[in-house]
Amino acid sequence: MSELRKDPIIGRWVIIATDRGKRPTDFVSTDQVGGPTSCPFCEGNEGMTPPEIYALRKKDSLANTEGWDIRVVPNKFPALRIEGTVERQGAGMFDMMSGIGAHEVIIETPGHQDGIHNRSLDSIVNLLDTYQRRMEDLRKDNRLLYVMVFKNEGERAGASLSHPHSQVIATPIVPKRVKEEIDGSLEYYDYKMRCAFCDIIQEEKRFADRIVHENVSFISICPFASRFPFEIWLMPKRHMASYTDMTRQEMHELADCLKITMRRLALSLGEPQYNWMLHTSPIGQVPRNPWPDVNEHYHWHFEIIPKLTRVAGYEWGTGFYINPTSPETAAEFLREVDVD
Amino acid sequence: MEKHRILIVDDEVNQGLLYEQELVDEGYDVDVANSGQDALEMAKKNEYNLVVLDIGMPDMDGLETLGRMLGMDNRLPVILNTAYPSYKDNFMSWAADAYVIKSSDLTELKAKIKESIAKRNA
Repeated sequence: MSELRKDPIIGRWVIIATDRGKRPTDFVSTDQVGGPTSCPFCEGNEGMTPPEIYALRKKDSLANTEGWDIRVVPNKFPALRIEGTVERQGAGMFDMMSGIGAHEVIIETPGHQDGIHNRSLDSIVNLLDTYQRRMEDLRKDNRLLYVMVFKNEGERAGASLSHPHSQVIATPIVPKRVKEEIDGSLEYYDYKMRCAFCDIIQEEKRFADRIVHENVSFISICPFASRFPFEIWLMPKRHMASYTDMTRQEMHELADCLKITMRRLALSLGEPQYNWMLHTSPIGQVPRNPWPDVNEHYHWHFEIIPKLTRVAGYEWGTGFYINPTSPETAAEFLREVDVD
Repeated sequence: MEKHRILIVDDEVNQGLLYEQELVDEGYDVDVANSGQDALEMAKKNEYNLVVLDIGMPDMDGLETLGRMLGMDNRLPVILNTAYPSYKDNFMSWAADAYVIKSSDLTELKAKIKESIAKRNA
């Protein structure tokens, strides 16, 4: 029996169509991602990338040489440029703005096939810390309003190299999808005087059937109105609007929650390809700021989307998503995996 | 003065001939391969100072050829030469020294060739 479910934050409707007969085991991945014989992100090939902006290096190793744990480099062929001023102009009814922004690549590990679910906790903490450092650094540029950190893992998820990497794109505008989410959280806050995400966490803990993993400070769930099979949100339990508000202790808890969640996903579905996106509050002062109380009503989180189905014409045309696996079934399937 | 030897890789035979003619006029020794596989064979047998590599080719595309070629010699300068800017989104393109959009005016390509060879000899 199909069900229509409404996302409580942005009001988007999702069709949970379990009668389409997709069982969790139908999604087990058989994709093989082949590595190139020479990879610009591998240790020893530092000369193939632009000079590093930031790196975690072993003692005494020199910049842009071997001996690193994480490297951050600017895009070699950027679509957005960091130099210049943000100029807005109109062309008839159309709006344009100069292509100012930053596009960076975080090379997460020297190892070419080092999946996140197999990495050490320290290595994941270093990655999460690098996300925070890049946000702090880009925040100093007052032309930039938003920093989006995301990861594409696998060809179907848009990754062009199998070497583990994340990307950082900083823009002088707030992306539409994030804007809708912040607007939705404000609407909820105005109505209930509470953070919608904090309420979701309370509800999920009460019912427990959509929880994937939980520790002292973080929780991962398959959200009530999941757009995609095995969609996962990972949220801090403490109310925080910005990813940069997280403490060092919380970062360790996040690494634990992320690793176990990704391990459950990898072991139960055969290491599926996926995207993750970090949604956080804007870094800069938005013109005519529509969200002066964003710290009160917004709550940063990761959205993890395994690439198990393709978005089809109906979804593109209507904005409705049809999800053949209920989040309760997905979460139960993920919880059953032995991750030790 | 030592003549530099360049390998042009392009599946369009006429395009390859055009580049060959223009670069010979510039004083280079030039070989042409019409597929990624042929290019790899030629790079194995000969020593090149630089490779100009098309991307959109059947069977083995330029980015795969690039990865394999650098797997044999990761100091070999390679310039990607394509009609499509979209391959810039593929991080494998970073392994190349330069990315030039195809044009009937070869000024940019010639400048990049000079620059890449000089950089590698520095």
